[in-house]
Amino acid sequence: MIDIIALVEALLPMFVGAPLLIGGVLLVLPRLARLRQVLGMVSLLAVLAGAIVLVALTSDGTVLVHQIGLWPGGVSIPFVADSFSALILAVAAVVATASFQYLIASGEARSASIASFVLILIGGVAGALLTADLFNLFVFIEVMLLPSYGLLVILSRRGNMAGSRLYVIINLLASTLFLAGVGLIYAVQGTVNLAELAGTGSDPATAIATALCLAAIAVKAAVFPVHGWLARAYSSTSPAVAALFSALHTKVAVYIVYRISAVIFEGDGVWMTAIMVVASLTLVVGAFAALGEREIRPLLVFQMISGIGFILIGIALFTPLGLTAGIAYMVHHMIVMGALLLVASAIEQTYGSGRLDRVAGLRNREPLLTAVFIISALSLAGLPPFSGFVAKYTLVLASADAGVVVVAGLLIITSLVALMSMMRVWADMFNGKRHTDVEVLAAESRIRSRRDLFDSDAIDADEVAAEAAQAVEQHAPPRGITATEEDPHGHRGTRIPIRLIVPALILAALSVALGFGGEFLIQLAEQASSALLNTSAYVEAVIG
Amino acid sequence: MSLALSIGLLAAAGVYLVLQRGMIRIILGFVLLTHAVNLLIIAAGGVARRKAPFFGGDTSQAADPLPQAFVLTAIVIAFAITVVLATFAVVGRNDDDTEAGAEAEAGAAPRTPIATAGDES
Amino acid sequence: MSLIAILASTLAVVAVTMVATRLIGRNAGWLAAAGLGALAAIVATRVPEVLVGSSAVREVVPWIPSLDVALRLRLDGLSALFLIIVLSIGALVMAYSARYLSDRTVHRHTGYFAWMLLFAFAMTGLVLADDLVLLFVFWELTTLCSFFLINRSGRRASAPAVRTLLTTAFGGLMLLFAVVLIVVRTETTVLSEALIDPVWQSDAGFTAAIAVLVALAAMTKSAQFPFHMWLPDAMVAPTPVSAYLHAAAMVKAGIYLLMVFSPALGGTVVWQSILVSTGLITALMGAVFALRRFDLKEIMAYSTISQLGLIVALIGIGTPSALATAALYTLAHALFKASLFMVVGIVDQQAGTRDIRLLRSLWRRMPVTFVTTLLAGLSMAGVFPLLGFISKEYLLGQTLEPGGPVWLGVLLTATVVLGAIATFAYTGRILLGGFTDYRGTERADGDLDTHRMPETVREADPLFVATALAPALAGLALGPAIVVLHPLMSAAGSAAAGQPYTASFALFGGFTIELALSVTIIALGLIAISQRRRLDRLLERRVLSFTAIDVVERIRTGANTLGARIGDTTRTDAPASHMAAPWIVVGAIALAAVFIAPSAGTVIDAGEPWTDALMLALLVVTVVPAVVTRSRITALILVGGAGFVVALWFFALGAIDVGLTQLLVELLTVVALVLILRRLPAVFHAVARNRQVLSAAIALGVGAAATAVTLAFTGRRDISTVGQYFLDEAPADTGGTNVVNTILVDYRALDTLGELTVIAVAGIVIMGMLSARPMLAERTPDLSAWAGTALVRTVDNTLPIRVVARWSAPLIILLSIYLLLRGHYEPGGGFIAALVGGTGFALAYLGASTDRRAPVRWPYRGLLAAGVIVGVASGVGGYLVGSFLRPVRFGIPLPGGSEYGFTSALIFDLGVYFAVVAIIIAVINELGGVREHHARPPSPASRGSSADDSRTRDRDDRREAVR
Repeated sequence: MIDIIALVEALLPMFVGAPLLIGGVLLVLPRLARLRQVLGMVSLLAVLAGAIVLVALTSDGTVLVHQIGLWPGGVSIPFVADSFSALILAVAAVVATASFQYLIASGEARSASIASFVLILIGGVAGALLTADLFNLFVFIEVMLLPSYGLLVILSRRGNMAGSRLYVIINLLASTLFLAGVGLIYAVQGTVNLAELAGTGSDPATAIATALCLAAIAVKAAVFPVHGWLARAYSSTSPAVAALFSALHTKVAVYIVYRISAVIFEGDGVWMTAIMVVASLTLVVGAFAALGEREIRPLLVFQMISGIGFILIGIALFTPLGLTAGIAYMVHHMIVMGALLLVASAIEQTYGSGRLDRVAGLRNREPLLTAVFIISALSLAGLPPFSGFVAKYTLVLASADAGVVVVAGLLIITSLVALMSMMRVWADMFNGKRHTDVEVLAAESRIRSRRDLFDSDAIDADEVAAEAAQAVEQHAPPRGITATEEDPHGHRGTRIPIRLIVPALILAALSVALGFGGEFLIQLAEQASSALLNTSAYVEAVIG
Repeated sequence: MSLALSIGLLAAAGVYLVLQRGMIRIILGFVLLTHAVNLLIIAAGGVARRKAPFFGGDTSQAADPLPQAFVLTAIVIAFAITVVLATFAVVGRNDDDTEAGAEAEAGAAPRTPIATAGDES
Repeated sequence: MSLIAILASTLAVVAVTMVATRLIGRNAGWLAAAGLGALAAIVATRVPEVLVGSSAVREVVPWIPSLDVALRLRLDGLSALFLIIVLSIGALVMAYSARYLSDRTVHRHTGYFAWMLLFAFAMTGLVLADDLVLLFVFWELTTLCSFFLINRSGRRASAPAVRTLLTTAFGGLMLLFAVVLIVVRTETTVLSEALIDPVWQSDAGFTAAIAVLVALAAMTKSAQFPFHMWLPDAMVAPTPVSAYLHAAAMVKAGIYLLMVFSPALGGTVVWQSILVSTGLITALMGAVFALRRFDLKEIMAYSTISQLGLIVALIGIGTPSALATAALYTLAHALFKASLFMVVGIVDQQAGTRDIRLLRSLWRRMPVTFVTTLLAGLSMAGVFPLLGFISKEYLLGQTLEPGGPVWLGVLLTATVVLGAIATFAYTGRILLGGFTDYRGTERADGDLDTHRMPETVREADPLFVATALAPALAGLALGPAIVVLHPLMSAAGSAAAGQPYTASFALFGGFTIELALSVTIIALGLIAISQRRRLDRLLERRVLSFTAIDVVERIRTGANTLGARIGDTTRTDAPASHMAAPWIVVGAIALAAVFIAPSAGTVIDAGEPWTDALMLALLVVTVVPAVVTRSRITALILVGGAGFVVALWFFALGAIDVGLTQLLVELLTVVALVLILRRLPAVFHAVARNRQVLSAAIALGVGAAATAVTLAFTGRRDISTVGQYFLDEAPADTGGTNVVNTILVDYRALDTLGELTVIAVAGIVIMGMLSARPMLAERTPDLSAWAGTALVRTVDNTLPIRVVARWSAPLIILLSIYLLLRGHYEPGGGFIAALVGGTGFALAYLGASTDRRAPVRWPYRGLLAAGVIVGVASGVGGYLVGSFLRPVRFGIPLPGGSEYGFTSALIFDLGVYFAVVAIIIAVINELGGVREHHARPPSPASRGSSADDSRTRDRDDRREAVR
């Protein structure tokens, strides 16, 4: 057993090394799209498997550490895996795998660099989650960001650069601020080793410097009042990419907030109160903004922002139960958000529009997709028996238990708002009036993609619409084209191919499983939170 | 003191520029901000000792090498991002204006997100 | 049969029936009916165990032990009563469905049966739950089943379904809130334990809060004013759904909840006032509204609301006898209302309408149905000797002595009497309007009257009618045989009251006030019926200008608009508007720092050389104009200049490698940006004055903060221990003497690895971006004026630089390799070497006479990848000596005895070299206009140039391949 531990510890850096290496190799296989996709999928699964091993090994509170390069503790860069980092890494890998599967199914992964980008991205995520060195963390944040820029632009909607520009600029801002914060921490403490910094939050100067870092990370995590950019950026790119990012970028940022707050601040009251206020604002603003959206993707992204608020409440409470709840909610949210965004992807790519007022009547056209959506939507709103309920109940319980009944009430009201926005999508897109033009939409989408010039301005909308209508006329089945309750078997015309639904289906199923198996979810979260709270073990392991 | 003032100057100029419209100004702003942060990191190591950190002879006056390593890394990363941003500036619709997006957004018909824009070549 | 088994077998019924529908379609209903009926019987056999006092059967199956949440099941008198109602009515409705549903083979009704039976399961769980969380779970489950059952019944159902869900979900969340507060306060999730916790007595505020929350939950579920609107709304669902969910079972969940919590909350002022007032208001309102409706189903809906109101009021009164009466009333109502709804369905199917203005003389054509309606209706109207009569008698008995002042009793009784009269009236409306030709007066109904019932209307399938008749007969039988109910009612009463109670209902309680009141009610009711037309005209006036549904819709749209407003605040792609906030926050933090934080340690003042001030001055003269100028190229050059000054700063501070790198990077940045500027306007966009002021203000704030923080935080400690370690140990550890370089390639090689990855990916991203999109067209200055002059003869103009390049290029390459090799010992290393090499390529570019001839034809994509691969590979090689990225070192003997200390760090550095060189080439080639042929003029005017078409075509092929 011991040697296995030692072996795994030594191999920790490979969570970064392997994806980077394979990612690099895939870059020089320009003509072998299939091979690239297979290799990419295999290595993602490998990361997932490795992460699960980490979860298993750390479940008993063990902290796996490797001083990279075997330099003395405090000099080298330490890689640390405790049950918190292991858990988040595992979940991130799950969602990344699902999203990549989707990218393959939708054909987006055929572009030369996509597989490499995804791998390098996951490598960066692993590094950011495992490193215990703040500057190294900065580097890995960048390693995460650059492939993301690539995915963002290369797969972005035609002509829509504004969102991508915004994304790059905001993240550059965050990185710059973070680096400055790290610099100040070094100025005061003479180290950027997280373990050596444990508890130094009591020193005002260090606290301020750390606060700067947290502010920078908050920008990345899209916390109020710096939340709006996320909706813009994620709505301008390929929806599958948005799904990928939602589980990786914002959540890694939240992870960092958890880690830094726990290790450096050790739950210092003032700062936690600050986080509490910001988090509450974020979750309320996000939920309401979602309600106001008219397209499915920005709606979901605002839900995501609201979810960030929920998660941060956990760290702000800084009670064992609170942290458990926050982490449980984080896991749940990564999975369900992934599912919902992938559903949105399938709709947008098949019907060419994510607008609530254009797509309708999906309930009868797409039974499987409908099931996936409603499960995820109800789970997001925190209704039983899905993972969302277990997570949300625990969070509300924790808040009330910590005496902040107001926040508990806020969480509950927000859940209703979330349900309202989900029901809005349901009523418009899934129930909806009889929309005979759904077929036309689909045809349009096909035509547009065939006519895919560099800039959609070059496409004359009316012309396309006319052509689409004509196309539908020609291939239209005798009995009309939209299935309705009068014609439940009208499985004609365009349908979302199963392969586009499967990834979301898997995630939704996971949410159901974690709902019934709530104990498992809570157990994992409890281990993670106790690892997070047990700073001394962390420090001891790192510095030795 | 001069160093602190230089950092402040660079930061102020950088912030002013990133709050402007054109991508180029924003890029230049971030370039200046990066300078400010890099100087800050060097300053974080202490500026009392200014001898280059090479081994050999007495290192009692040698500057703290760690911040230097940090800054080296930071500079190169900043360069990479700068060129990416620069590319962003010239693949837009008309010029590098970041605030022309609004009206373009308004009339935008829902576009197909099926983007298989191959980047092989 | 254990409780868990009962619960499980309801699920089994779901599964079996779903399979059955595939085979026998709607007839699967019989199967389901049999299943539920059997379960009802089984429950009945368990009842005796719980009849004595307030005893109960308990079972526990763990679910989420960490949260002390478990499948705790409990069977006491109360749950027994409700369980029997749920299961037996369920069985009847299932049997009814087997005939009600169409038997077109296309409809297998799998979904319908699945949701209905799932609902039965949910109700079973709800009434058995002895765990607060479990209670909530099943509560929400019933809500969901109701939602899906409504939602699947046609397109018109969408809005009602969503409204119903939102209303009931709101109630559910109130329940969740209550549950959480109780769990936190009583530190148990066990319902029965929580209810007997002392806190209820000790903390009045807490009790009141819970009372409000629980009442809200129950009011939404049981459609009490002002949450009543969803019930009539939900009538779009098929009649059996209405019969089961919206009459007999689901709406009773609220009643059950109230009765369960009575032991803890009963008797408190808040509880009583809320329940009694809303209950009676609802009762009266529902009854009156029922009188205004012509659709039988709507009449039923409002009647349900009204009856539930009476039960709620009873629970509010809260005495054991009141609670027992409530239990009895619940049973009576379940029986007659289920029967009535089923009848409506039958009439609807046979006669093709539910409008009492159209129905004619059905009593002759459908006698059995009529009798059924008669029995059920009279029971509802509280006519002797039916069960409804008894429940109403005792209700009046309760309202007469509610405790408290006399006027209260009078008020309550008066209200109930009024409600009862209305009830009697609309019962008559149903019976006469629905089955006879009676129209109140003989005056014709206008065009409605011309509608004649088709002669073909006949009595429905006997099995069909029988299911409706059964509960009505039960109501008839139980009236005289009320005694048999005493044990169950006593148990229910005791459970609800939390104290032993023995019920003693009698069909005839002697000549009491109640009896007198009943007579009055019937008398006045008859008058109301005889004056129906007047009554209708009287009630036609709308009291309010809006309906409750309008209110819900108002709230929904209001919330949506509010959300849109909130969204608008960030609905822009302009970075500036997203960046202002963080800058202000950061500036605030930093400034706060300086005042809050007592400066750690004292400044180590080594004095500062005059050169520092000089460099500051240089910065001022470069940076300030760079900010104010509106010429892009000027700004670029000035910023570049600032970069060089910063490099000077680095040199001055002893950071030689940093300084060198800074110089070279600055050079390349400028080159890259110059390439960009060719495609952009000459001057920056104009910005509004006030915006300039604002950004200037923010900028100055941040600048001041930066300076202050630098002064407050830096230079107050001696060199860090780790820094000292590097200075002392670097050579021994790594064999290198250039400490900074050893940190980069040995100690913190991981940083460097990440960084070279960033470089490589950046290169790929640029390539990808430019192949997916065109660059803006170049804005070439108009040189026509210079035609023929030397200025435009690029070939000649570039001759000197080409000559220089030809000679210098190899030297530069050599120099860069030398720098690479010595990096470990002297200033140099991967970056610097590569950057120097890169400048060589830059020279080559500048030397080229045209863009076409400029590019360096190197596979830089491969080179970028190679950088990463080499870097990681050398890192993996480190495992030879035990760890990722640990350098492997050995000496290579050189001619002349000396030896070159080789370290694998060099290979690693080579990776860096590749990446950096590659990105330089990439930038020059990509941005240098080699891809000119992709570009389109900014205006979308010129579409597919030939190049575009070809691209489009091959991309098209690719997509076909994808499909």
